Amino acid sequence: MARLGTRVPNTPGNSFIHRHAAYIAVVPVLLVALCFYFGSTVWSLVMSLTASKIFPDMHFVGLRQYLRLFNDDLWILSLHNLVFFVLGSLGSLVLGFILAVLLDGKAVGERVFRTVYLYPLAISLIITGLVWQWLFNPSMGLQQFFRDLGLKNFNFNWVGDKSKVMYALILAAVWQSAGFYMVLSSSGIKSIDSEIWQASRIDGISKLRMYFEVIIPMMKFTFLTAFVLLSIGAVKAYDIIVAMTNGGPGGHSELPSYYIVDMYMYRHNIAVGASGSTILLLLVVVFMIPFGVVNLILKKRK
Amino acid sequence: MRIAPEILGVMASPNRIPLKNPLSKIVGYLVLIVFAVMFLMPLYVMIVTSLKPMDEIRMGHIFALPLKPSIEAWDIAWNKAASGFLNKGLKSGFWNSVRILVPSLLMSVAISSICGYALACWTVKGGGLLLSCLLVCAFVPFQIIMYPLIKMTSFVKLYNTSFGVSVVHTILAIPILTMIFKNFFSSIPTDLIKASRVDGGRFLGTFLHVVLPLSPNIMIVIAILQITGIWNDFLVGLTFANVTAYPMTVNLNNITQTQTGVRVYNVYMAAAMLTAIPPLVIYFISGKLFVRGITAGALKG
Repeated sequence: MARLGTRVPNTPGNSFIHRHAAYIAVVPVLLVALCFYFGSTVWSLVMSLTASKIFPDMHFVGLRQYLRLFNDDLWILSLHNLVFFVLGSLGSLVLGFILAVLLDGKAVGERVFRTVYLYPLAISLIITGLVWQWLFNPSMGLQQFFRDLGLKNFNFNWVGDKSKVMYALILAAVWQSAGFYMVLSSSGIKSIDSEIWQASRIDGISKLRMYFEVIIPMMKFTFLTAFVLLSIGAVKAYDIIVAMTNGGPGGHSELPSYYIVDMYMYRHNIAVGASGSTILLLLVVVFMIPFGVVNLILKKRK
Repeated sequence: MRIAPEILGVMASPNRIPLKNPLSKIVGYLVLIVFAVMFLMPLYVMIVTSLKPMDEIRMGHIFALPLKPSIEAWDIAWNKAASGFLNKGLKSGFWNSVRILVPSLLMSVAISSICGYALACWTVKGGGLLLSCLLVCAFVPFQIIMYPLIKMTSFVKLYNTSFGVSVVHTILAIPILTMIFKNFFSSIPTDLIKASRVDGGRFLGTFLHVVLPLSPNIMIVIAILQITGIWNDFLVGLTFANVTAYPMTVNLNNITQTQTGVRVYNVYMAAAMLTAIPPLVIYFISGKLFVRGITAGALKG
């Protein structure tokens, strides 16, 4: 990150402001980072070790709040759901990659297709959740449509079924974000040397084999980046749950981020909320590790 | 695996290149079309549902075109749909969103562009460290800073106001925007900055007269990123505003989750469309720049 180019020394002026203008320009951002990010994070870490309920309370209780958190079945369920959601979100990457491959080098209608696949990204997740909730409506939605077609036992009431509600969330999330992973994959494919393609043509390798044996392994860094982004997206997912399921039925679509906001805003338990958000921070760090490793490898190569 | 193009030129006789299989081409197009239809389906359903009266919706033909299309649901959604205790429709949420968007757009762009410029073009000791810190900040989950921010904004009497929501959006945008601006301004030749300094241009003058005229594209990309991001935000609006300041997304969610009376799906879908139209318009107008914006801001997601 800290790649320093040649810089211009500060203006030699007569007043303090002119001499230190560049530093003054940095101050607001520095303050935001220190107060609002680091300060707030430290405050939350401290709060997670206290007995705070509805108001902050400086009575320290060690790790007892974490014990409480992990004894809450709902929290454990939300962690299970998160794992499931991350795995399901891989669907956006797979679909996005397939679309990128199919669109690669096709001139006819390429722009139209891209526009269609990307538009869900422009709208709010609240709208995505709402429209998918409507599509999943058992008596007026897709289920009814397929039953009218003659599939009498067609069951698409996923939102109301605790064993299928996560599939519903994943389906909506894939619809929303597949376009993004298409863009990411497209730029990955484009960065591959055209000589490699020509070489494959000479060797008479089929395009499909070419993708599986050469292109996909070559794009491993793109996929890793995509995986980090989609898992962090899953950790942060909140709006879509509110709009589509409100965590239901019975908490079977709650994710940690939802649990924490609920804890802070509606169950008024600061300490448990803070310990939950600390775990969330740890999760992000864990998901970031592959990112850091890749950066190190790439730096060493240079 | 690198092959020199000269060798290729010798070897690549046309008859050795396998003919493109027309069948696989057709299958490829079919898959693309099927997915395009699936991607468009929710938008189509939203539009047709919003144009139907409720008794037509209850018939359960979700894909059917409206028999008697009417924009009554749109009118109700905009002017008088009930959300919580208010019956003022979405228009209050629309104006709240505008009130939230404009200040946060201006503040976040101003603060982070000038900081990115300082870090990219001038000597700032510790600048590299600050950038590393900002990268970490960009990944901090909102939930961990949410409650402290609520305390701080209520301390300065900004909690539950739309300006407070703008301030929080600005705080959330600053790390990623500063990094994007810094990366972009680093590509400006140092000679230009030096020349401006020789001509007597100072820090701010150089920014306004030399750097900004070179950066209309990045400004548009950032503006698209911020406008769509803030417009579509839900959680910040929900936690930092009150009933009178709720942005459009929160207003929409409240309308659809008001459990009193019959559920009016035509009004919900009209309300969803009304909320979706501003970012969709930006998307269709801006095209490639929108794509650049979302990939640049991917960290923020």
